[in-house]
Amino acid sequence: MLRFVLRRCILVLPSLFGLLVVTFLLIRVVPSDPAMALAGDAATPEQIERLRQQYGFDRPIWEQFVVYVGKVATLDLGESAFSRRPVAVDIAQRLPATLALTFCALAISVFVGVPLGVIAGLTHNAWPDYLLRVFSVLGIAVAAFWFAIMLQLLFSMELGWLPLRGELSPTMQRPPRVTGFMVADALIAGRFDVVTDALRHLVLPAFTLSLGGLATIVRFTRAGVLDTLQQDFVFYERAMGYRRHRLIWIYVLRNSVTATVTQIGLLFGGLIAGGVVVEAIFDWPGIGSYTVQAILTGDRQVMLAVTLLVGTVYAVVNILIDLVHGLLDPRLMERA
Amino acid sequence: MSGPVLGRRKAGALAAGAVIAGTVAAGSLRTASAADASTFVSGFGLPANLDPHQVYDVPMQAMMLNAYDNLYRYQNDPPQIVPWLAESHTVTPDGLVWEFKLRSGIKFHDGSPMTSEDVVYSFRRMLALGLAPAGAFLKILKPESVTAVDPLTVRFKLETAYAPFFAAIPSISIVNPRMIEPNVKNSDWGKSWLASNGAGSGSYRIIPAGYRPLEYLDMEIFDDHFMGWSHNPKPVRKLACRPTRETSTRVLALLNGSLDCTDNNLPADQVAQINASKIAYVQKDMVMRIFIIRMNNTKPPFDNLNARLCFAHAFNYMGFINDILGGYATRDPYPMPDNLWGIPKDAKGYDYDLKKAKEYYAKAVAQGAPMKRPVELHVQSENEQSVQGAQLFQSDLAQIGINMKVVGNIWPNLTAAAAKPDTTPDMWVHWVSTYFVDPENWVGQMYDSQFHGTWKASAYYKNPEVDTLLRKARTTIKQEDREPLYQEAIRKIMADSPDIWVYNSMQLQGLNKRIKGRRFCTVGQGAEMRWITLDG
Repeated sequence: MLRFVLRRCILVLPSLFGLLVVTFLLIRVVPSDPAMALAGDAATPEQIERLRQQYGFDRPIWEQFVVYVGKVATLDLGESAFSRRPVAVDIAQRLPATLALTFCALAISVFVGVPLGVIAGLTHNAWPDYLLRVFSVLGIAVAAFWFAIMLQLLFSMELGWLPLRGELSPTMQRPPRVTGFMVADALIAGRFDVVTDALRHLVLPAFTLSLGGLATIVRFTRAGVLDTLQQDFVFYERAMGYRRHRLIWIYVLRNSVTATVTQIGLLFGGLIAGGVVVEAIFDWPGIGSYTVQAILTGDRQVMLAVTLLVGTVYAVVNILIDLVHGLLDPRLMERA
Repeated sequence: MSGPVLGRRKAGALAAGAVIAGTVAAGSLRTASAADASTFVSGFGLPANLDPHQVYDVPMQAMMLNAYDNLYRYQNDPPQIVPWLAESHTVTPDGLVWEFKLRSGIKFHDGSPMTSEDVVYSFRRMLALGLAPAGAFLKILKPESVTAVDPLTVRFKLETAYAPFFAAIPSISIVNPRMIEPNVKNSDWGKSWLASNGAGSGSYRIIPAGYRPLEYLDMEIFDDHFMGWSHNPKPVRKLACRPTRETSTRVLALLNGSLDCTDNNLPADQVAQINASKIAYVQKDMVMRIFIIRMNNTKPPFDNLNARLCFAHAFNYMGFINDILGGYATRDPYPMPDNLWGIPKDAKGYDYDLKKAKEYYAKAVAQGAPMKRPVELHVQSENEQSVQGAQLFQSDLAQIGINMKVVGNIWPNLTAAAAKPDTTPDMWVHWVSTYFVDPENWVGQMYDSQFHGTWKASAYYKNPEVDTLLRKARTTIKQEDREPLYQEAIRKIMADSPDIWVYNSMQLQGLNKRIKGRRFCTVGQGAEMRWITLDG
């Protein structure tokens, strides 16, 4: 197991370095001027030139790359041209919000999607199956921004049940920052009013973000269950008189979710990318909105750092997925 | 195995149970979303960071008017420069030495008294950082030329006479060195620290724990502000800034009361919906923000006067203003806001007239201008209005045989490209806002050739007579002497038609009806909170 994990971690490093090189070069293709972005709109050419020299933007590209890689190795991600703050600090403030949203959406997708997929498989060609098939097609087809606005109109404007936007009500005093995760920090501070408020703010963005993944998981689980139900061992176990509940939710499900687990790994990247739109609509203070701002303002250091971070998180999640695969089917780990 | 394994009844019961559970849970959470009567929730955008010496733009103006004070400040509409921290000032006849007398008894947020040494520190810090707000001062003011004459008097000795100096004074915030100095790292003038903290004396105090860049900012009232609060017995106690990115969300938030005001760029198509609501309305204010289509005067055919005049007559000004902007702008044919001094009111701008455009087209062709060359107009993709304006222009130009391509772009790429004439697009669209209220902010920095290389001067227009007039106006101290110089310069610029000047903006801002006492000034655009009371 340890060898398996180590091997996967080592394989990730060249991928991340490749990602860094490609992103670094791609960003240089864009004709924006980082010194101009740093100097601001009202700056004179002299001010811009001074900053260009100060930050080394006038040096050869390979030299800039070597300097950057050296800094990244010491976890120095540079300074944002826009916020003029260390990028690492900005990201550290925002990442928990994005992770909370992404994992909530993933949890909804998995814990709702898998049972629904099983139900669809078990009710093959009956009305629940038809209904869930329509739902899964719609879930994949519907645009996140449209769905988000519909949810806002229904649950915030019409029914008044849930907040429209943000992470916390403006009148609510924030708990001291410990972990950066609002709900966890509120629990640590014993602020249950903040816990409730933060969870309510999480509902609409998390549900919006989960929709596409939920639909995908329903489809893959359904297909897996239908396939497994055709296996000889299922006929055998039924003939042996296994209780149906145990047969379906343990033996059939375990053999059906291999493809679904692979999809969860792929979905994670989609959730981070989809989070950009969802964060913008719900004013969720995560790295999605930060990234959009960086692109619109030509903030190279932030673009590089976020790409590297998302690549790292994606790689870690996929290592975990590989581990889960190994636990579900130990033959895979032996082969690896 | 085929057919349903889970019984229909069981599946139906599961689905119904889920729906009921969701409904009950949500029903128990129903609450109102409006803020309390002492908290103002603002939808204004936030500046890139909180340091007023690093950033200077419209969101920063809104923030610093509340968190910081200035020697003089713009108030009212039209804007007047009025004493603020300073109670008076003097200037020598040659315009080189300026002295400002501070009021006594001013306190910073930490309770320490403000003296002239703090003003000196603030200006030296601004000059040392050399970032955006320093632009107006770097060439004319050396750090050692700012001195404290006595505890309440500060002296500025300029390198050369510079009339806009006084107009630019409100752009500099006075900061508290006693809060900044303990946080200085590597001689950075506390740049990193002040980016996320406050060190001012303004009407509202920044709460550092309530700040995340571009996401939210909380401020609380400063009871010991030097102006006192007797003029407003029920002021806003807490200011919660919650910028809202998407138009649909910001309008919904205004309509459900969770936002007291939107930002000041509300699209015209939202006006009717908001005005029809019971709790909000749209406030319309004229500002000083002009919309321009730049032409790169160094690239053919734009190096030809007749070609430029052809383009200037081919834009449907009133169609754009009335149909796309819903009439919420005024036609401004000048290279400057038409509500600012220095405009030659006798000068006539260009009208939409395709017949004239064709005549100029023919003249340009006769002079060898390559009018058949496909030209590009770069727009800011995220701004729908500039895209629509470009498309309108494109269709009219097509009628006279000009092939124009609309190219989507973003602001940093455009400003970077504008640094050199050969990389500047054929045409591009932008606005010029009020950084300081003086013709220098517009016509001075846009058409004096010494500013070539900056985005403001990206037409690369060069006329030695205009340069002379603008430079003379810059060093002439009295406004009555400067005004005819600007008028003359503008007449000459308009005759050369280097750009297409379209409109002066009307600010549309959604406001909750509980807001009372709001005062508007084009600098800060109505964001100064100390005048406001919340009903209810």
